Amino acid sequence: MVSPWLVGFVVFLAGPMIASLYFSFTDYALLTPPVWTGLDNYIRMFTADPVFWKVLGNTTYYTVISVGVSTIVSIALAALLNKPLAGMRIYRTIVYLPALVPLVASAMLFAWVLAPDAGLINRALGVLGITGPDWLREEAWVIPALILLSLWGVGTGVVLLLASMRGVPKELLEAAVIDGANPRQRFFQIVLPMLSPVILFNVVMGLIGSFQVFGQVYILTGGGPNNASQMLVPYLFEEGFKNYRMGYASGLSWVLFAVIMICTAIAFRTSSRWVFYETEVR
Amino acid sequence: MSASVTGGPAVTGRRSERETVAVGTFRRRDAVWSYSVLTVVSAVLAAPFVFMVSIALSSDATVQKAAFTLFPKEFHFDNFVRVMTSDAQMATWILNSLIIVTFACLGQVFVSAMVAYAFARLRAPGKAILFTILLSTMMVPAEVTIIPQFVLFREFGWIDTLLPLIVPHLFGGAYNIFLMRQFITRIPRELDEAAQVDGLGHFGVFAQIVLPLMKPVLVAVGVFSFSWAWGWFFGPLIYLNTQSKYPLALGVQFLSGTSTNAQTPPYNLVMVGALFLTLPMVIVYFFSQRYIYQVNLGTGSAGIR
Repeated sequence: MVSPWLVGFVVFLAGPMIASLYFSFTDYALLTPPVWTGLDNYIRMFTADPVFWKVLGNTTYYTVISVGVSTIVSIALAALLNKPLAGMRIYRTIVYLPALVPLVASAMLFAWVLAPDAGLINRALGVLGITGPDWLREEAWVIPALILLSLWGVGTGVVLLLASMRGVPKELLEAAVIDGANPRQRFFQIVLPMLSPVILFNVVMGLIGSFQVFGQVYILTGGGPNNASQMLVPYLFEEGFKNYRMGYASGLSWVLFAVIMICTAIAFRTSSRWVFYETEVR
Repeated sequence: MSASVTGGPAVTGRRSERETVAVGTFRRRDAVWSYSVLTVVSAVLAAPFVFMVSIALSSDATVQKAAFTLFPKEFHFDNFVRVMTSDAQMATWILNSLIIVTFACLGQVFVSAMVAYAFARLRAPGKAILFTILLSTMMVPAEVTIIPQFVLFREFGWIDTLLPLIVPHLFGGAYNIFLMRQFITRIPRELDEAAQVDGLGHFGVFAQIVLPLMKPVLVAVGVFSFSWAWGWFFGPLIYLNTQSKYPLALGVQFLSGTSTNAQTPPYNLVMVGALFLTLPMVIVYFFSQRYIYQVNLGTGSAGIR
């Protein structure tokens, strides 16, 4: 009964992985067979391709800021939405709705949300007397603009956090009240530690997702201006499927894999210091 | 149910009058503060939605001048008809999306469930190693395999067909198998054993006993697969060339790149497409949220270790 997965694993994963590793050591233009070139692709990537370093920097910048900010925002929102006040269902729905919008749709929409004159954000800034930037065409603002788009979908993380906030035992909070803990202490010393496994889950999923950002960049900026928003997967797409440098693109995919592994490993390594498991024996 | 996290407690009995009053005013101030923050945040998050509807209802002239307003001023509902008839092939795109999504959901749900059952219940040599391999495959980003897969499907002659977008789903997905296995391990084994005593084989136990009990996780995996396949953009982009084979996500993106007799792309029609992309997600989510919530409580919020 495992066989369907096993077949899928061999044909669509293990086989392609080996092939991709092999391609990454070749010069492969799709129409002609791959030619073995050893480490050439990687050497070019790390020493002779200035775009690669920019791409790596951009991707890291985007990932760190968007995951960091959305972690903080989602915790704050979940805390607010967990309050026993009337009408919370409506607020919860509004916060979650943007997370349901498929990426192509939200990217299309944000082309106009971020537009220089007609755009929603710049008109709102105009009301406050601020002249907003041309978000998608200025090198300094294009990645912050993409981060704003990712923050619109912050609801995914909020939902998971809310679910586990309800799992925080009431007795613990009541005991803390009797001991004289104020709301802030109760939040930071009881609720937050109880949430930490979910926070780790959100951070890891966020890291993996953000490093693989593609649609937003492809649709909104095409990597521009001047490669200021070019990132790993869009660059891979351009090299592989537009310039037909399949070997180089395969190499890029392994770099992406390595970067994701390193970041996930760092998140897990440091997690023993900030993640608390209920069943843990210290 | 309403486990108060930040609100005051109900143990005011032994406290002095003045303290109770203080708690009362604190609560009111806290509530006012919470409501104002939430209202502002909700308004900010909802504004792009309203804007999407507003653009979708705009006339072509408004699109030309980019004179969109946050709240709709004109109501060109005929845009919703135009995308189906003359100005775009949205009906075809939606149909293509539905074909892909149906196979993706069925494949992911039933194949993953079967494999998950095998991992949870059957005894076979090497099972532990296979499960470790399964877990580690979850970490491999799709981009690592996309180029060889493209080469493979090109060999098969599947370029510009829907097959590359459907077939990989028919072998189950690692994350779904993992999620389902965790769910099955919480179903009491006695149920299987009783059924086996009654003469059911492994397949019978799976189909008649375990599968019906897996409803929440089946729905959850179905919804995840639906949203993934419905919105997927990269795959269709590399595999499809012919417009009439596009799924909706790619079609909408294609439409935004066209400018026929107008100078600017028909953004009103693009936003109609964006609405069509969004609507099924909202409907599916609202009908399935209680199941997803159950699954999240069981696995997601237990975190990962």
